[in-house]
Amino acid sequence: MPGLIGFYTFGEGRENWDASQFIHYGLSALQGRGQESISLATIEPGNNLRTLGGKGGVEEFFQKNKTSTPKGFIGIGQTSSYLDDYLVHVKAPYELVIGLDGKTDLHENRGEATKLFARQLSQLLHSEKEPLKATSMLINKIGGGYSFVALTHKQELVIGRNPLGVKPLETGSVGFDIGAVASETCALDVMGIDHTGPVETGEVIMFTPEDIRGNTPTTDPANFCSYEYVYLARLDSNVNTLPVARVRNRIGKELAKAHPANADVVIGVPETALPIANGYSQESGIPQELGFVRTGENIRAALKPTQKERLMGVQLKLNPVKSAFDGKDVVLVDDSVVRGNTLKNTVLNIKRDGAHKVHVRIGSPALLSPCPYGVEIPTRDELISANLDEKEIANNVGADSISFMTVEQLQHAIGLPRQNLCMRCFERGGAAG
Amino acid sequence: MRVMGVGGGAREHAIAWKIGLSDHKPEIFWISENRNPGIHKICKDNQGELRTGRTTDPKTIVRSARGWGIDLVVVGPEEPGFQGIPDALEKEGIQCIGASQELSVIERSKVDLRRLQWENNLPGKLLFRTFKNAREASDYIRKNIDAQPWLQNIVVKPARQSGGKGVKLIEDRKIYLHDDKARFKQAYFTSLQATMAAYSDIEDKILIEEKAWGPEYSLQCFTDGKTVLGTPLVQDNKSAHESDSGPETGGMGSISGPDRTLPFITMEEYDKSLKIVDGIVEAIQKKTGKSYHGMVGGQMMLTENEGPTVIEMYSRLGDPEALNMLAMLKTDIIDVFQAIVERRLSKLKLEFTNEDAVVVKVVAPNGYPERREKAKGHPVQVFETNIKRNGCYLFWGSADLQENGQVVTGGSRLLALMAMDHTLPPASARIEKTVSSIQLTDGWGLYHRSDIGTEQLLAKRQDTAERVRRLYKYREEQGILGRKTEWIPNVGKVDPSQLLLQEVHGPEKA
Repeated sequence: MPGLIGFYTFGEGRENWDASQFIHYGLSALQGRGQESISLATIEPGNNLRTLGGKGGVEEFFQKNKTSTPKGFIGIGQTSSYLDDYLVHVKAPYELVIGLDGKTDLHENRGEATKLFARQLSQLLHSEKEPLKATSMLINKIGGGYSFVALTHKQELVIGRNPLGVKPLETGSVGFDIGAVASETCALDVMGIDHTGPVETGEVIMFTPEDIRGNTPTTDPANFCSYEYVYLARLDSNVNTLPVARVRNRIGKELAKAHPANADVVIGVPETALPIANGYSQESGIPQELGFVRTGENIRAALKPTQKERLMGVQLKLNPVKSAFDGKDVVLVDDSVVRGNTLKNTVLNIKRDGAHKVHVRIGSPALLSPCPYGVEIPTRDELISANLDEKEIANNVGADSISFMTVEQLQHAIGLPRQNLCMRCFERGGAAG
Repeated sequence: MRVMGVGGGAREHAIAWKIGLSDHKPEIFWISENRNPGIHKICKDNQGELRTGRTTDPKTIVRSARGWGIDLVVVGPEEPGFQGIPDALEKEGIQCIGASQELSVIERSKVDLRRLQWENNLPGKLLFRTFKNAREASDYIRKNIDAQPWLQNIVVKPARQSGGKGVKLIEDRKIYLHDDKARFKQAYFTSLQATMAAYSDIEDKILIEEKAWGPEYSLQCFTDGKTVLGTPLVQDNKSAHESDSGPETGGMGSISGPDRTLPFITMEEYDKSLKIVDGIVEAIQKKTGKSYHGMVGGQMMLTENEGPTVIEMYSRLGDPEALNMLAMLKTDIIDVFQAIVERRLSKLKLEFTNEDAVVVKVVAPNGYPERREKAKGHPVQVFETNIKRNGCYLFWGSADLQENGQVVTGGSRLLALMAMDHTLPPASARIEKTVSSIQLTDGWGLYHRSDIGTEQLLAKRQDTAERVRRLYKYREEQGILGRKTEWIPNVGKVDPSQLLLQEVHGPEKA
């Protein structure tokens, strides 16, 4: 799953901006969405469109390429949880570089699907008289769930969010000089840019040296990704105008109401589940404690491409604070359960550290199907909830009980109408897997 | 009545001591490889003698027993049993306490023991797998580690008893250290393969077992083949140094009492353990058609998966665990032995003190266990009055009484000090006060573990036991006690015990 940045400048002296600096920090803020592959593209004075891509993390990439990073005064960037997943460069007929979050339905493979989309966009920007309208028609025509940022050799920044609205994209600006987009608002904050609002579903915006033009967004009901609220988005972001922190707190409260437990302490599995645990604690009156300390850098273990890296991430991330568990009945709160490996490891460790009963409470419904839009939810063979019932899961991970939310409870916690939320991963018979 | 003992360690010294206390007033004779000063004295005091000789040679033993006109032989260590000493004696019509060669396989071959447990679906077993060579072992682990997570944390053992090759516990718990662990494992497999090449009597040379975690304890039993009578639990301490660190030894000291069980093992667990040992005795008798008469011991561990579980079996008493048990035994030991040979153990009233806790601490010369040659041949001085004054008992182990009356170290565990008290810590303290009464006059150092029997170590054992107990009780409540089934992403439900049963029985029966 990628995180996207678009950075645009206006006015006199715009050539003096170094877009790569903004992209660097913007991508840093988005690395929670994955950071296996980093890439950026900028336009330098003289209309040179330059790109650079390489292995992550974000910091290592920019450190390593200190001298070779294309600076430029406008640009886009992408950080992706996939290996070798970079911005796509199309040279002709209309040169552009595109970053895309999610997946179009042009091909099974995300990379290929993105390439096909890029070619069509290039073709249409080349031949259509009204490129904005044409692009708007394109995203209405091509299915899937995606948002994109594209930079053209004509110093245009074209961004869009397909009508489904599964993938977030947020706009911002500062002063008269800078406009920007990012997958999450936290990236705008970090770049020192004021958040102006979400890109609407079905909306296309074109930044050109002359103006900023947008189409009229669709009126179809959006289908926002509910997993953004559960796990993907950063706590300090707003997704579709809802503050993630508030949603996670409400998830915790809903969870406590729906699945109470007798326990001495509530402990969240870092990082994502900490605010959920906080909500659980507030609602239940059971005190919350910090139960784990991380070694090394913050890794989104679940987004790592190999099992070994995922386990490594988890083991380094979750060293138990023994006194938090010793002799206590524990409510262990996590955001979701994918394969169950992490949970098994964690429950066993904290029981060895002296936890008595361990009641696992999950701040989302059971994951039953892979994501058709490219979120790292594996096939059903790897999803523990698609294979085992709750008691079997509890036994497999060594917990005294485990409870998931229902789809309705999660929807209630998010606070959006059911038809505006994509919950296909929580449903059986969603995407083929 | 004339009794002869075989073996020259602290365990045998304690057996001799107990025989010497019998109301039957037997004359006591002994054969051991070393001239154990303690046994030597007991024999002399009881109208007998200690003769040195090869304790694993049936001819030597039979000849001596006949020459002395022995009524009953007691075999202490395992090796004479492995070599068929009890069989040879019985063939000559001499009564013997000790597992016969075929029965002692439960100790001699760790593979046969595991197979026996799995073939008969006995409780208290661990997953295992055997390999012909190092490559086969590494390949199997590499290929199957994802589908069978137990392969991550394993114990590597030689597949049969083999001069000094020990046990390696390899816990591959942290995946970022995996490559290093794999390298170490591979190297140990290779070294095992080299050592085991000498043994042509078995095809599979390397044994791996699932690594369990929990408190260990020994349950020693008397059996006449029909009845298995349990004795008080004893906990030995295998690591050479304080706080369970350092290399594996034969045992650095042990605790027992004041009750039948240990402070950290419940009576329910005791009963389960006894049932497990009983089941193994029954199964091996059925398999061999032989009757077991002598001592049998379960080296047990409380495990997360099943509670009481067999780590290894003894076909004899433990050393030093025998000291604890014998110190607590109130019944006349000759009565026990006679009940065994006459197969009427079920009618015997086997009594133990329930007032005294027993602590045993082994004193070993520096160099043991890794550099035994250096630990050998040092002259020993003992201040016996001091030992008596503190109410301690001394049992000689790897020590040799020379012609000139001087005792020298044999290179292994020199001796064991024992003390009894109402609870363990004061008994431990008594030994601590006494241990300076043992010295090597050439200045070579001695060491022992001061922590055995202390409040602190007991609390640690208690704590570990409670953690493990909660985990296996959880499995009991959930109805999955002892079950090894796991769900593995992309693989599905895997039950490694089914795979193992296929190994043991062949595919059609499993």
